[in-house]
Amino acid sequence: MSDVGMKSLLDVEDLCAGYGSLPVLFNIDLDVRVGEVVALMGSNGAGKTTTMRAITGLLRTTRGRVRFAGTDITKEPTEQRVARGMSLVPEGRGMLRDLTVAENLEIGGYAVRDRRAAAEATERAYATFPILAERHNQKAGRLSGGQQQMLAIARALMSSPRLLLVDEASLGLSPVMTKTVFDLIADVRRTVGTAVLVVEQNAGALDLADRAFVLEKGQVVDRAEGAEMRAMQGRLRDAYLGRRGPDAPR
Amino acid sequence: MTASRVASTIAVIAVVGGSLSLGNVKLSILVGVIVTAIAALGLDVLVARTGELSLAHAAFLGVGAFTAINVGSRGAPWPVAILAAVAVTAAAATIAGLPSLRIRGLQVAITTLAFQEFADVFLFSRSDVTAAGRAWARPSFVRTDIRLYLFALALLALVLVVRFRVGVTKAGRAFLAVRDVQDRAVSFGVEPGPSKLLAYAISGAIVGLAGSLFALKASSISAKDPFLLLESLQLVAILVVGGTGSPAGILTAAVVVKGLPQFASTIPFTHLHADRIVPMASAALLVVAVVAAPDGIGGLYRAAGRLLDRWLDPRARVRPEPRPRRVDRDAPGAARLPSVQRPLSLRIPVPALLEARDVRVEYGGVTALDGVSLEVRRGEIVGLIGANGAGKSTFFNAVSGLAPVTGSIRYRGVELVGRRASSRSALGTSRTFQDVGLLRPESVVENVLLAQTWLARYAAGVGILGMGGSVRTEGELRRRARLALELFGLDHLSGERVGSLPYGTMRIVEIASAVAAGPDLLLLDEATAGLGPEESHALGDRFLALRDELDLTLVIVEHHVPLVARVCDYVYCLESGALIADGKPVDVTADPRVVESFLGRADAASGGSPP
Amino acid sequence: MLARIVTGLSAGAAYALVAVGVVLIYKCTRVLSLAQGEIGAFGFFIGLRWAARGIPGLGWHPGRFVTLCIAVMVGALLGAAIERIVIRPLVGRPPLDALIATLGIALFLALLEKELFGTATQFAPSPVGEWKVTVLGATLVAPRIIALGSAAAIALAIYLFFSRTRFGLAVRATTGDPTVAKLMGVRVNRVYRFAWVSAGVLAGLAAALLGPAFGGLTPFAMTKFSLRALAGAVIGGLDSIWGAIVGSLFVGVIESVVGGQFATAGSAELAVLILVIGTLVARPRGLLGTEGAA
Repeated sequence: MSDVGMKSLLDVEDLCAGYGSLPVLFNIDLDVRVGEVVALMGSNGAGKTTTMRAITGLLRTTRGRVRFAGTDITKEPTEQRVARGMSLVPEGRGMLRDLTVAENLEIGGYAVRDRRAAAEATERAYATFPILAERHNQKAGRLSGGQQQMLAIARALMSSPRLLLVDEASLGLSPVMTKTVFDLIADVRRTVGTAVLVVEQNAGALDLADRAFVLEKGQVVDRAEGAEMRAMQGRLRDAYLGRRGPDAPR
Repeated sequence: MTASRVASTIAVIAVVGGSLSLGNVKLSILVGVIVTAIAALGLDVLVARTGELSLAHAAFLGVGAFTAINVGSRGAPWPVAILAAVAVTAAAATIAGLPSLRIRGLQVAITTLAFQEFADVFLFSRSDVTAAGRAWARPSFVRTDIRLYLFALALLALVLVVRFRVGVTKAGRAFLAVRDVQDRAVSFGVEPGPSKLLAYAISGAIVGLAGSLFALKASSISAKDPFLLLESLQLVAILVVGGTGSPAGILTAAVVVKGLPQFASTIPFTHLHADRIVPMASAALLVVAVVAAPDGIGGLYRAAGRLLDRWLDPRARVRPEPRPRRVDRDAPGAARLPSVQRPLSLRIPVPALLEARDVRVEYGGVTALDGVSLEVRRGEIVGLIGANGAGKSTFFNAVSGLAPVTGSIRYRGVELVGRRASSRSALGTSRTFQDVGLLRPESVVENVLLAQTWLARYAAGVGILGMGGSVRTEGELRRRARLALELFGLDHLSGERVGSLPYGTMRIVEIASAVAAGPDLLLLDEATAGLGPEESHALGDRFLALRDELDLTLVIVEHHVPLVARVCDYVYCLESGALIADGKPVDVTADPRVVESFLGRADAASGGSPP
Repeated sequence: MLARIVTGLSAGAAYALVAVGVVLIYKCTRVLSLAQGEIGAFGFFIGLRWAARGIPGLGWHPGRFVTLCIAVMVGALLGAAIERIVIRPLVGRPPLDALIATLGIALFLALLEKELFGTATQFAPSPVGEWKVTVLGATLVAPRIIALGSAAAIALAIYLFFSRTRFGLAVRATTGDPTVAKLMGVRVNRVYRFAWVSAGVLAGLAAALLGPAFGGLTPFAMTKFSLRALAGAVIGGLDSIWGAIVGSLFVGVIESVVGGQFATAGSAELAVLILVIGTLVARPRGLLGTEGAA
């Protein structure tokens, strides 16, 4: 891991996207380097999920470029991006409710052709999440919210991705559960060396990130790394709660 | 009058005039074409306006034809026979439409398919139904082919007028609401069930008229082919190829699909088997049209018309943005918008307009609102803030009757819980939706008119016939719509399709519609979502203008707290379905629980920091 | 009575073959196909034509069993072509658009059959032999037995396919949520194609068995059968394979029993229709369907 934090893994340049006639993202620039955790912060409706959808190819971009490990993937379909080593834990967890826990994991490794590698990944998942091993035959829809979030992350890790994208992992979770999930993301980076892009409203995510971007109304309005991260907490409060005075146009 | 209108009028006159010089055989073929065209136009009322597909319209055509012969052959005067056919077919269609009260889309299509098959194998195999052996002698006024053709043209014209009236009265707008926003149609004051049945009845009546024309032409009917499933599919093909909602396209398609094979067979010595090729080609065309040209021939006509107009008048293009307006200077009449006729009890000044007590909403075991109590005072802008899923929109749904509520919500002392959702606009509340609850395929003015449904105080069916004061009322509503659009600087866009406008403009159109309904209380759900900073700011000014100059009370759900801080008089903050803070904006945004709710619990996650 | 039930079951099994295809397509692509009957019939007619005149270019007259294989292959090819050319561009459009498109395809194929093969009933010798079996007083000809057998075999095969294979899992993931399936690397378009091809195979098989069992086929005759299959699928639940089989068997039995009890023309059809509308109104998702079928 000599190139940690040096080489760029994901590069988003001047990205614009939207739904139908509704523009949501305006000229987004952000990047994730190999092996680091990046937080993409922002309040409701700031465009965080839309950014994730555009990066994974679920949403067509109207402008700009997405590069992954140096390759331009702007026009590639989602399946191909997944095969390149990108994996998304979607907002709302994306549980396949009628499939069992084991089947959810299996489909997570669908992009991996190697049977042995898939078996190893399953073992790893069960070792990390004993509760999932315990419930491997249960329908995913019957798990609790926290367990579903674990399954969603475990499933996304089945393909041993180079970049893990996590969309609002803390949504609907209790504080204790949120902490567990954040710990887990930190662990993933430490042990596997996977780069992680977390999209969060929860300021706690700043603690585990190396760098952070703040989205507001579809634009990147703030960024920070290293020592600046502490100060960002305060700026975030202002951005969310409007302590910057009237909502004057910038 | 636009150039395209002039051109199409000339074309119609030329085609009709030219057709009069045709021989008897061809005129008779044309009468058959008109029968099919009227039936397809009837089907179109259902498909284009309510979005539901009927595969039973050939059966309805049969019901009409057989009824006419049954009644006519027993010596009834011809108008009675025709009216009977219309009435019986309308009734049959309404009955076939009953399942659509519970189901929709594909399922409805399947039930109509079942109805068609029921007619094929059961109804039309009964000799008393099919009037076997009976004949309805052609009345003397249509004895010659040319006269019958003229009569058919008159009926066609009548159908076109009826369709036009459907379009310009509240019935037609209600159908559109059912098609595009069925679950929310009630928020426009539209009851979906009765609207759907009325659409089936009108569609059936028109097809019944086609059936009676069929009977008039044939006198007696032995072959049942024109009324079987295959013919229903043909009608759908004509509709899709012609383009739903386009009479000109549908008429063209009817001539091509129905007329062409028969005309070709009148030409001697042709080797072209048009009678065999055309049905096949029309089936193939149906598939091609669905995939590649969903607007059909009608779409081509419209495109050509637009090209012509633009070529002759390049200035006809408009900028799709609202113009800046000030109420006092630019739209002085708009201040009258809130003065609508309401009972005295709904007009007297009260301090608290809306009082919610212990409001609970549960969706399938999930508690979305957990005992919320709040108050909205008259003349205030009240903000409702909170994270995703906190229950803000659910509260709006509770007030507008779109969510199952327990507890009490009183508007001017009137209990809303348990009241029909469609009664809200009459009481004086209007709302907008997070994702824009407009009918996107329709024009701006049409949407504004739809929002005023409760002000159209005439019976829907009567309005179609131009009675019950509907013409005068509609004129008034159009004037109101104009005022509302002027107020928001949208009057130059009144004819534009909503879906073609920029998102920010759509938002303003929705607010304009809500204001046109003449409310005292306006509920705006995330009105600035999808707007840029400048647009958001401008919208904030509009909120203030609505409060100060139109004397409206506003509740706004808003994520952008800076805007809330600027315009709101009072703020409530929700978290997980419960109120966690309320007060003046400055106090609420300083509340530690609000800060925590927006930023997440930093303390809970800090243990996860990497070494 | 028992005999009628047995006869009904064998007819129902043939409907079930088509119905399973309809459900497979609906589960995977949310399209209700009304063209399955004609897709099968078209394959069957081509098989018969080639059996009689020899395969073009080869001059070889295929035997009875090969005729069945041709029907199956043509069904599969048509399914693949329809998915690629017609259905895929309609992804994301209102469900009625795809329904209308399949109606157009059904109409086109039926008219093309009429044009190519004439309106006369096409008699076909049984592709699976001329033997008969008497069960509980009902005499069943070979194709009916095979229909029953293959419906059972296909039910089992589909069960194993879905629960045991990698691709089966991908199909189930796509049914659950196409977006999530994509995110897992599943090529959703392949799943769509698979559904249409399998349904085409089943339609071809059904036509090749139904033709001989019901004393020949005419163009448009399969429309009637596909309506029965549709009734079975709707009653059983549009997104349940087992529902399609149970529903179709039920339709077959009702038709056979009611048809035997009442002499009035159309009474059997009437019973089926009442059943369909009753099911849709009382329980829109069908007997075994999930919420998504409603």
